[in-house]
Amino acid sequence: MTLLSVENLTKTFSAPSGPIHAVRDVSFEVQRGECLAVVGESGSGKTTLANMILGILGATAGEIRFDGAVLPAKRAPAHRRAIQFVQQNPLSSLNPKRSIGASVRLGLDTYAIGPRADRWIKVEDALEEVGLPREMRHRAPAALSGGQRQRVGIARALACEPELVVLDEPTSALDVLVQARVLRLLNDLRQRKGLTYVFITHDLAVVRNVADRVAVFKSGQLVELGQTAQIFSAPQHPYTRSLIGAVPVVDDAELDLRNRLAKGT
Amino acid sequence: MSHLLDIRDLHLAFKGLGGLTEVLHGITLDIAAGERVALVGESGSGKSVTARIVLGLLQEMRNARVTGRVGFDGADIMTMAPRDRARLRGTEMSMIFQDPTSSLNPTFTIGNQFAEVMRRRDPRLNQAACDARATEMLAEVSIPDPGRVLANYPFQLSGGMNQRVMIAMALVNNPKLLLADEPGTALDVSVQAQTLRLMHDLVEKHRTAVLFISHNLGVVREFADRVYVIYRGRIVETGPTGAIFHNPGHAYTRALMDAVPRITGAGLPAVPEVSDDFLAPMVRHEGGTS
Repeated sequence: MTLLSVENLTKTFSAPSGPIHAVRDVSFEVQRGECLAVVGESGSGKTTLANMILGILGATAGEIRFDGAVLPAKRAPAHRRAIQFVQQNPLSSLNPKRSIGASVRLGLDTYAIGPRADRWIKVEDALEEVGLPREMRHRAPAALSGGQRQRVGIARALACEPELVVLDEPTSALDVLVQARVLRLLNDLRQRKGLTYVFITHDLAVVRNVADRVAVFKSGQLVELGQTAQIFSAPQHPYTRSLIGAVPVVDDAELDLRNRLAKGT
Repeated sequence: MSHLLDIRDLHLAFKGLGGLTEVLHGITLDIAAGERVALVGESGSGKSVTARIVLGLLQEMRNARVTGRVGFDGADIMTMAPRDRARLRGTEMSMIFQDPTSSLNPTFTIGNQFAEVMRRRDPRLNQAACDARATEMLAEVSIPDPGRVLANYPFQLSGGMNQRVMIAMALVNNPKLLLADEPGTALDVSVQAQTLRLMHDLVEKHRTAVLFISHNLGVVREFADRVYVIYRGRIVETGPTGAIFHNPGHAYTRALMDAVPRITGAGLPAVPEVSDDFLAPMVRHEGGTS
């Protein structure tokens, strides 16, 4: 069942040097419960696409459907609640003057989720769900480690009870051990809560292990879209092959695969 | 065997309100001339402070206690006068940082910044001589149209171009040692791969030794001859790159390796818990130049 469908989506920015075509005529669908990875280098239009799905940016042309209904430029609160965002750098996305709990609670108050009296409990539940102690709601963001902050970012998004979560490089600022734990957490949460992810990243090794399908962007265009296993066994587009060819690898099996795929044989 | 860089039993502690916080617990690390050595570990493990001590920057901080020996090219950086240490920076040793765009000065052209670096070695160089040598270096890092780039400001160039400019600038005085702290982490994978290959070829050609600091095992494997794994201020494993990657001996190194997602798709990596084994004694693989 299709949850999100993007149809002929285009975004053009005007600049003194002429128009910038950030996203050009892009169409794809995301099924309910699926994890779709969006990959590409900086400037490929990944973040512009995310901003349009979230309703932060309006499209120049084309439309976005969510659960069958066309999303208007000005989103209704129910839609804003249903599509949540996890950012790359949680330190810059959490208000430094608010406690962790207050930041997580903001969404509950904005969308009037649950009775007011229960909301602190819901906040603590959300923290517990991402593996943080309940008391942490009193702490300030600055007192947390990078991994803990990213968990807060996830808790903040999940407290709003979304259906779709857009994740923009959620683990690229983290150490490898912390990254492994956060990726596991994201996977568990998706399965347990039946969430749908649009997972934006440039890390193809992460993509290989978390995504059901992969969308490859280059210069604002969707150049390849396929099942993850298929992209990593027979990439069709030369750009996809060059991306795979640049992945730093740690073991010999990976090295063989990478070199084979990059050559396109 | 004589080493270009010879760190023995290096300790570092910071004085704070709650007393001393120990950061390095006796690091021993050496690099031969022309050798590429990686120091790999997670954030807070002590990688970057080690580089800063080699540069002589932490010794001058009033709240830092540094003890041990840091031999560089026959001299001991620890006992040197601050002026002499300052004279080494940018001439005999130079550094490349993680984010090239923010480490270049936005108010000077690339050409002016090159001149400033070159005049550290020879203060009498005129602009024309500096430009000529800078053009040569920029061509070595495969920058097309070096003349135009010299007249540009850093914000007019892409991140990948700025990274190449940084590499060229770091090598322009033919240093014996290059310290590279997470170079290219802020860049796209494909650009990162290109710049690393470029840096690899250049240091090989100029016989520059490199202390390569990174948390990315894949990048380390491609760049380094020898690896030191650091965990909480202690070296836990060291050896030639091949030995470390094919036969990791320390529990922490194995945990790091296991946690890296693979493009062969073995599923999400196992999540190793922090264990006491991570504090087990150092594992040393013989071989390489050490």
